[in-house]
Amino acid sequence: MSSHHLSGLTAWLVQRLSAVYMALFVVAMTAVVVSHPGYDYASWRALFAQPLVAVTTSIFFISLLLHIWVGIRDIILDYVGGSPSMRLLLLSLLGVWLIAMGIWIVRIMLRVMLI
Amino acid sequence: MATMLFDIYRYDPEQGGKPFMQRFELDNIDPGMMLRDALIRIKAEQDETLTFRHSCGEGVCGSDAININGTNGLGCITPLSELKQPVKVRPVPGMPVIRDLVVDMQQFYHHYREVKPYLIRHEPEQEVEFLQSPEERDKLDGLYECILCGCCTTACPSFWWNPDKFRGPAALLQAWRFLADSRDQNTAERLEELEGPYKLFRCHTIMNCANVCPKGLNPTKAIGLIKQLMLKRQI
Ligand code: SF4
Repeated sequence: MSSHHLSGLTAWLVQRLSAVYMALFVVAMTAVVVSHPGYDYASWRALFAQPLVAVTTSIFFISLLLHIWVGIRDIILDYVGGSPSMRLLLLSLLGVWLIAMGIWIVRIMLRVMLI
Repeated sequence: MATMLFDIYRYDPEQGGKPFMQRFELDNIDPGMMLRDALIRIKAEQDETLTFRHSCGEGVCGSDAININGTNGLGCITPLSELKQPVKVRPVPGMPVIRDLVVDMQQFYHHYREVKPYLIRHEPEQEVEFLQSPEERDKLDGLYECILCGCCTTACPSFWWNPDKFRGPAALLQAWRFLADSRDQNTAERLEELEGPYKLFRCHTIMNCANVCPKGLNPTKAIGLIKQLMLKRQI
């Protein structure tokens, strides 16, 4: 499968699946938070140390980064039509930024889950 | 009888200068008159240099697509009685203007050609007709009626942004017309051709196409069905 194969249908599918997952996650998370009033720092950490919460939260952030990638890529492809090099530059910047965010998120998640 | 005001886009690149809107006043407007009739009369009675395309005069040939008060449509089937005054008449947007209301449709036809709008068989030609059941034939309704006027594609922001890469609603409607045809055997190749971020997937379901189509067709729906078929064949 060529790389251009991944860039049309797959991107479109990723956008939709990540949107559905994030919507469900936000609803579930809101329900959890609302049903336990009076969170303090310790109970907040305990919540995210639970494997189920940690895993679903990690998937949420993966979905978020993928969703941002497809969405911002769409905006770049739409509005920066004329100049391929400008498009490449912006897509690279976006990629670097998302990878940095990803590393940062992994660090936070690891610290929350391991300690 | 009634008098109507028209502001018509005028531009002649060969003469240089800038495009401008020219005011025309037309009297003796009949109740049933269409916009095309008014343009013909303005050209005959007031300014013979006014240039526009038209032919059949009844919404079949698809040659008089213009932008009427901001919305694309066919001049020949747009009743003057429905239009706010002054009627602003412009060429369809997003296309190079050749003169006044006449645009260069090259790009549009290019995309149409690229979707191979004809039946392709891989098996050897058979000696008899290719039969279709009534149900198979029904699948082509809402697709084959397209008159290639270009109202939809030139109303589509995705086409304005990427006119060289995005196929546009009209071509994609025809792509689906042949994907949906039980006699066509080129499905895999057709879908493969539309893959990638641009040709099909620049569509963001804005739906201007379905809003303006003078034949009441729905290219957005056809595009959705192409995506569905792609997905089905992936899994
Ligand atoms: S789909 Fe409708 S608006 Fe588009 S080219 Fe065909 S007839 Fe014209």
